[in-house]
Amino acid sequence: MTPAEIEAYVDASAAALGLKLRSDHRPGVLRYFALAAEFAAAVEAVPLSERDEPALRFAPVPPRESEQ
Amino acid sequence: MNASGLLRQDASAMADAVRGNAVSAVALVQASLDRIEATDRRVNAFTAVLRERALRRAAQVDASLASAHGPRTRELPLLGVPFAVKNLFDIAGLTTLAGSKIEREHQPPRDDAALVRRLESAGAVLVGALNMDEYAYGFTTENSHVGPCHNPHDLARIAGGSSGGSGAAVAAGQVPLTLGSDTNGSIRVPSSLCGVFGLKPTFGRLPRTGSFPFVSSLDHLGPFARSARDLALAYDAMQGPEGRGPHDPGCAQRAVEPVGAALRLGAQGLRIGVLGGYFRQHAQPEALTAVDAVAQALGASRTVELPLVEAGRAAAFLITNSEGAALHLPDLRRRAQDFEPLSRDRFLAGALLPAAWVARAQRVRRLYAEQVARVFERFDILLAAATPSAATPIGAEFFEINGHRLPVRPNMGLLTQPISCIGLPVCAVPVWGAHPDLPIGVQVIAAPWREDLVLRVASALESAGVVHAPVAPLA
Repeated sequence: MTPAEIEAYVDASAAALGLKLRSDHRPGVLRYFALAAEFAAAVEAVPLSERDEPALRFAPVPPRESEQ
Repeated sequence: MNASGLLRQDASAMADAVRGNAVSAVALVQASLDRIEATDRRVNAFTAVLRERALRRAAQVDASLASAHGPRTRELPLLGVPFAVKNLFDIAGLTTLAGSKIEREHQPPRDDAALVRRLESAGAVLVGALNMDEYAYGFTTENSHVGPCHNPHDLARIAGGSSGGSGAAVAAGQVPLTLGSDTNGSIRVPSSLCGVFGLKPTFGRLPRTGSFPFVSSLDHLGPFARSARDLALAYDAMQGPEGRGPHDPGCAQRAVEPVGAALRLGAQGLRIGVLGGYFRQHAQPEALTAVDAVAQALGASRTVELPLVEAGRAAAFLITNSEGAALHLPDLRRRAQDFEPLSRDRFLAGALLPAAWVARAQRVRRLYAEQVARVFERFDILLAAATPSAATPIGAEFFEINGHRLPVRPNMGLLTQPISCIGLPVCAVPVWGAHPDLPIGVQVIAAPWREDLVLRVASALESAGVVHAPVAPLA
């Protein structure tokens, strides 16, 4: 992402989430978002097939047994 | 030996002394409280000292020893041992801060965290709560709300984080045993910088019930101590499935697999490799010297690289950033100015990450774990430095790693993050002499659920005199 794309995305997504970025917070947010974008590029670069599963697994929750 | 002399020993020696009537639990706990009083203005490891609760509990231990229950009480593994916990563990009647200002407004819990209860059931005595990075998002414990935690071996330097108080309290000889949490390195980093032993068990091994979460899909809990046998004692006392009542959905609820008796098996016969590539490229000379000293002592000469390690670290960063921020989104919306200034902007950015990045990170994490599992078909143990350098000065913004100037705060965990990402058990062992004055830790890493192997190796290294955890003089 270019710096301009990052600014546009950060401002739009913050507005969509109802997250008001103060002027003294915004430069740091842009810097950390750019860092995350670098890590995202590293993750995007790993070839995956549609059948590569995520690391998380949901465990269904059964009802508690009734107490006699 | 009197109680204050015993306080310089490890927890096992203290429990033996109480068991043998050489010292009372009350005298031992009082010695711990006195040491905290004498040193903590300089170290700043504690955010709360539970004097009354601790002395009452110690008196109960002594009374039980003198009663008809005496023989059974005498068998408790941590009899009379004072311990303390990172302030994200619930302590009945004390607000769980998780290093924050915001949580000060919340009601205190009615119950202790599951692991606090398990340690007290094993005879240990809780004496206080410990300093940490806010919401565990940091590697330095430069907490702006309560002040930085100081490294007991050099008070001008960081103790590491996020469980900085947990490492410092053990190194300062305030208590022989503490608990911390580790999402990306928060047990192993302070262990390394403070020169103590730390165990990050397999992801899902110990229940997190009653602790304040950071990133549920990566959070681990574990002990710090001054010997490998103490880690084993505490770890064995904390294992096992949860009974009735609240459960940690991230806990595998496995049966107890005790490791204490295995320590004497040593490291003989284990296939040990040294992690190369990423792990050597991101380390200063003292970190490499420490790993090499441990490898030489173990006769390990084969180098191995972890496939996908950089992508694995990237995945851990994205999952942490997004999941950690989402947890605090309501407060980030309403009162961002009340967050720790050193991590606030990172939290705010994390709240905005595209879902596709995080979903892909979880798939890369799985693929990385599968590829590393194949490495463990050839090796039982892998070695790597725990931190890229020894402790940096408090307030330092940057350090240089292999010619690159990197920010200290997000990068002190760059060698630990790829390992916790896939939940492997690790014992951080403290090496002295690799740096002129300071300790630095080495990660002893095994395949999932093989905590026995990492503790066997740690114990063997300790017996050989290669690693040790002295109490800082703090004269």
